[in-house]
Amino acid sequence: MNLDAVPLLTTRSICKSFGGVKALKDVSVEVRRAEVLGIIGPNGSGKTSLVNLMSGHLRPDTGEVQFLGKVTTGLKPHALAERGLTRTYQAVRVFGSLTVDQCLDTASLMRLSHGDRLVDRQEILEWLELDLLKKKVSASLTLFEQRRLELAMRLMLKPKLMLLDEPVGGLSSQEVARMIVVLRQLRSRCGILIIEHTMHVIRELADRVVVLIAGEKVADGAPSAVLQDSRVIDEYLGSAHA
Amino acid sequence: MSDATILVLVSMLITGVLLGLVFALVAAGVSIMYGCIWLPNASNGQVFVLAGLLAWSLTNSLGWSVLAASLAVLAAGGVMAWMLEFTLIRRLYEAPNRNIDYFVMTLGLTQIISGVFSVTYARYNDQYELPKTIEGVTFLGPMPITNTRLFVIAVAALAIAALFAGLRYHQMGRALRAVFQNRDAAALRGVDVKSVYRFAFILGTVVTMLGGLLYAMAYSFDLTLAWTMSVTAFAIMIVGGPGSIFGALVVGLVFGLTQAGVSVVASPTMATFAYLGAMLLILLIKPSGVFNR
Amino acid sequence: MTKAHSNILGGIVCCSLVALPFALQSNKFLAFILGMVLINMIWACGMNVLYGFVGLMPLMYAGIAGIAAYGMIHLTRAEGWSFWVAMPVASLCAAIVGVLLGLPSLRLKGFYFTLCSLVIQTAMTLVFSYFPKYTNGDTGINQISPPTLNGKELNGAMFEVVLVLFALAAVGSVAFIMSRPLGKRFIAVREDEVLAEAVGIDVVRTKVLAFFLVSLYAGVGGCLYAVYVGFVSPRAFDILSSLAIWLIVAFGGRGSIAGPIVGTLVLAPLPYLLQEVPWAKDIILGVLIVGVILWFPGGIYGSLFKGRGVRAAVRKGDADRMVDQRV
Repeated sequence: MNLDAVPLLTTRSICKSFGGVKALKDVSVEVRRAEVLGIIGPNGSGKTSLVNLMSGHLRPDTGEVQFLGKVTTGLKPHALAERGLTRTYQAVRVFGSLTVDQCLDTASLMRLSHGDRLVDRQEILEWLELDLLKKKVSASLTLFEQRRLELAMRLMLKPKLMLLDEPVGGLSSQEVARMIVVLRQLRSRCGILIIEHTMHVIRELADRVVVLIAGEKVADGAPSAVLQDSRVIDEYLGSAHA
Repeated sequence: MSDATILVLVSMLITGVLLGLVFALVAAGVSIMYGCIWLPNASNGQVFVLAGLLAWSLTNSLGWSVLAASLAVLAAGGVMAWMLEFTLIRRLYEAPNRNIDYFVMTLGLTQIISGVFSVTYARYNDQYELPKTIEGVTFLGPMPITNTRLFVIAVAALAIAALFAGLRYHQMGRALRAVFQNRDAAALRGVDVKSVYRFAFILGTVVTMLGGLLYAMAYSFDLTLAWTMSVTAFAIMIVGGPGSIFGALVVGLVFGLTQAGVSVVASPTMATFAYLGAMLLILLIKPSGVFNR
Repeated sequence: MTKAHSNILGGIVCCSLVALPFALQSNKFLAFILGMVLINMIWACGMNVLYGFVGLMPLMYAGIAGIAAYGMIHLTRAEGWSFWVAMPVASLCAAIVGVLLGLPSLRLKGFYFTLCSLVIQTAMTLVFSYFPKYTNGDTGINQISPPTLNGKELNGAMFEVVLVLFALAAVGSVAFIMSRPLGKRFIAVREDEVLAEAVGIDVVRTKVLAFFLVSLYAGVGGCLYAVYVGFVSPRAFDILSSLAIWLIVAFGGRGSIAGPIVGTLVLAPLPYLLQEVPWAKDIILGVLIVGVILWFPGGIYGSLFKGRGVRAAVRKGDADRMVDQRV
């Protein structure tokens, strides 16, 4: 089997309910290598639930999740991180009272040898323009700096796939533009899945887009095709901002 | 069923209802503070006993009637609560995670009050008793019940009903509930959140003291009651659901009847074990409580 | 304070501590206070790991110490074991119990865990009082004989020297643990559990380990307390004891190695110096608790040495991380 053909992450027929409300109905999604997948949909469409299921925070009621060809349904987030799957969250999260360096130390704990823990650090810090902030307490960084720190921490895990939950949330339009550049460069380091509700970001970054509406997968294809799909237009784009 | 058994059962029932209503009142006070301000008041038991002790001082040393003393204590309680809010409580209104801070802070207050007790009231007496509030005894069938206890039951029930109605229909009550549901949304709708907090604290304290006064009217009490009452009030609040007066009432009555029933066959400590067990179970299974909104 | 300075200071403190018991030989009262300070230091180290570094407030700490103490007493009296065997065994048992009692922390956040631990502590005190088979109830157990070392009973300055060694071991071991990856995992869990999980930290395992380790400190302290004081009762291991140890850590400065030492040196002697006026002890304890919460959340050591920057950052971090803790 050609290893390149094995998708990074697959969800098969995922169903999930919360106390009678069906959040996800029979959702099957593939994240392929060398391709950025975008997931979009209105609030309440199940995007967050889907990502929570992919990243091990939730178990599906039925269906399964596979990562790198192996079934990972029900594995906890830290176990998935060990296998190379990691995610960021809608609200930015950093280890507030630790410095940038200490945050990266903590994210590197998984690596077994001390030398290994530092090997790519300087390069990543410089790329993300965090080098001069190494000694600053992370709670005192600006939001944009914290978002970049989030990426740096994840890269310490040597991930194969990063799930990014609204990575430009809260950023000014200038910062959004800069973040898009960063994310484009991130592609060369690992696979990316982006959840967004801003069309602009999706159009700039995603090779393929999945649209979720009310828990169902409604469209799956290139952005240009998806954004012209009639159901998508009717039920979603009318209210979304471009 | 023999007459004696019927008398025992009816007596248990009356005690249970009385205790239950008093418990519910105190739990409601604690619940209002926690639901609205996120202030878990660990010192509620001390305040409960303090009310009874102050009333005792007024009736014993100054010869006031129980009713006059009670009103005075409630008024003084309101003032004390206001002062406490002004100096200590309001400093944490903006703090995130303030429920732990408040919990520990009120544990500190518990220590202070308890220390004051041990150098004042504890030296004087072991048991405290108020003079009869109302003379006479009424007979419900064959069962005699003192008019005082009837009075206590009536006042407690009225107070709970008033709380319930006030929260639902009065402007301030609705503001309280709005802040409890969602502080930021309430602020956007023009509610002055800080004065609602202040109101909730004072109301909660006064309600707790009312519970203490009513208990003192019906029974004699000692200083160890403070800790037991704190545990019971928290247990009722957690099991019933923070912020729910109805939950406080139902669970309070259940606990009251349990206590009355258990006291007949075993030591009251067993009842405390049961409350702790119930609280633990709910915390682990459904932390939002049985009757949560 | 630079690292070199704090190392020198640490060295001076260690040497003085070893010398103190001999210096205080003439004053039994002061020697006893020294002993209690040392035992409290062991306890404070454990509490600091859980409260300062992992971020959980375990109000059942004293109860766990009590389990070890009563267990050790049973093993030495009823089974005739030597103290030096009974203590580790009893402490290990207490540690296992501690892990079980800490399991609620896997589901309950912040205040709810604290409340739960309060309930557990209250239950433990009731069990100690009302199941006298091992504990002799409220009357307590007295005439606990001191352990023997090289055939001779341990008393006088030698006992305090032994305590000094234990206290130094406690402080040193905490410093060691915190310098290892496990220590960084503790801090990560304190800062943000969800993020810790996302960067590959097994939060469940980390918490279980934390409770195990912390309970060991509680247990060793409890056993030493029992043989040093010679008398135990449920009141020695109740909620007030847990709160007192918590206060030592919070007052001294949680999340640092030196903080609990400072806190112990200042607060542990107080109850004994205030023996004549027990009510004052309660009031002072209460006032200090309120004061620490309102004005010194970082403790004395935190306020003096860590400075404003970290404190401000920590408060902002708290605000950003706010999670609805009512449910």
